Amino acid sequence: MAAGNLVRAVACGLVFLLAGCATRGPLLPQLTSETVPPRVELTTTPFFPQRDYQCGPAALATVLAASGVTVDPDALVPEVYLPGRQGSLQPELVAAARGRGRVPYILPPRAEVLVAQVAAGTPVLVMQKLGAGPWPGWHYAVLVGYDATADRVLLRSGTDERLELSAARFLTTWERAGRWAMVTLRPGQMPAAPDLARFMEAAAGLEAVGRLEEAGGAYEAAAREWPDEALPHLGLANLAYARGDLQGAERGFHAAIQIAPADVAARNNRAEVLLQLGCPASARKEIEAAQALAGDGPLAGAVAASASKIAADRRSDGKGCPTN
Amino acid sequence: MFKRSVVYVLCFAVLNLGSPMMANAAMIGTLQAVESSTRAQDLATVNAALAQDQVRQQFAALGVDPAQIDSRVAALTDSELRSLAGQMSGMPAGGDALAVIGIVFIVLLILELTGVIDIFKKA
Repeated sequence: MAAGNLVRAVACGLVFLLAGCATRGPLLPQLTSETVPPRVELTTTPFFPQRDYQCGPAALATVLAASGVTVDPDALVPEVYLPGRQGSLQPELVAAARGRGRVPYILPPRAEVLVAQVAAGTPVLVMQKLGAGPWPGWHYAVLVGYDATADRVLLRSGTDERLELSAARFLTTWERAGRWAMVTLRPGQMPAAPDLARFMEAAAGLEAVGRLEEAGGAYEAAAREWPDEALPHLGLANLAYARGDLQGAERGFHAAIQIAPADVAARNNRAEVLLQLGCPASARKEIEAAQALAGDGPLAGAVAASASKIAADRRSDGKGCPTN
Repeated sequence: MFKRSVVYVLCFAVLNLGSPMMANAAMIGTLQAVESSTRAQDLATVNAALAQDQVRQQFAALGVDPAQIDSRVAALTDSELRSLAGQMSGMPAGGDALAVIGIVFIVLLILELTGVIDIFKKA
């Protein structure tokens, strides 16, 4: 009998673990404010039922389709599926979104930010941990709706086109997966409640893999959203440089420095451009300022490399060089 | 003479192919600038080429089609490559929820059939 009770307790514990131990009060009313409607369902978000272990490709195809990229999940399998792990890793979903010309914005890890995206009409790719112990049950799904009154959320998940879950249960599985969530934005589109560093990291990833046009659209949107920040100007100037537009690049780096005089990257890059424009004296002045600001920080190595190259050119400025 | 000049032009063009502007200059990319504000380590000291090799090997070991490995590695940024190289085996791989739910269902079914629990009966 005692053994029976023990098994019963363990079984109940297991059920509660999977149900996400829903002991908190209503959650969604706290996460929705006057600015966010109490009930949203993104009915036009398509559904791709997953095949074995391939919720990653299916969920990614869902958010990509919602951002205007038509792609079959099967076409994403060779890009994101790892046979040896029977699943997909987050960085590869991010990379595949970039590969389709979309800005893979990783959301700040807060539930109200998830809700805000859906309220703004953008479905959210979320990671969940559904199991425990030797069966962690990592899973990708797409959040497409919520109902604050009923305290429930709606997901495109696995083979369920319209999985309805209690907010508590969903949020517990999401929290256990490290609160990871991503939206795929069209270049130029801003997420709801945007975060500068996260947005710029997503946009700069496009630049880093050579998708310069899409990066440019995102940088321009960032420059409009955060006119008092230097980073979007730095990004636009780097793209001008990549196009071979040295004058435009110089103006952009200069604008970034006007906004943020302590910006090491903008000063380093402006020095390099000044050197190429035939202004070695101005370049030396700029790189010295960059070196002083870089200290032994993360960009020190890159700045030191530029400095030794620029110091080798002892000529004075040619005509038309900047006076500051 | 004409042929020779064509060869020279082609040689010059081919040499240029391998040297995009960003590579030969000491420019700091936007991503590097963003990461410098969020990460502490000296980005220049972390060997991106080494990380790329490690990821390539791990992809091969995990059964990625050899024809796909190069393009998958090329799609990743340096910091993504570094984090994958360091912790790919510990990273969560989102796969199938059905397997977990299936296992739990079987456990519950066995408990039900042996009379330990009674959750599938209608009230």
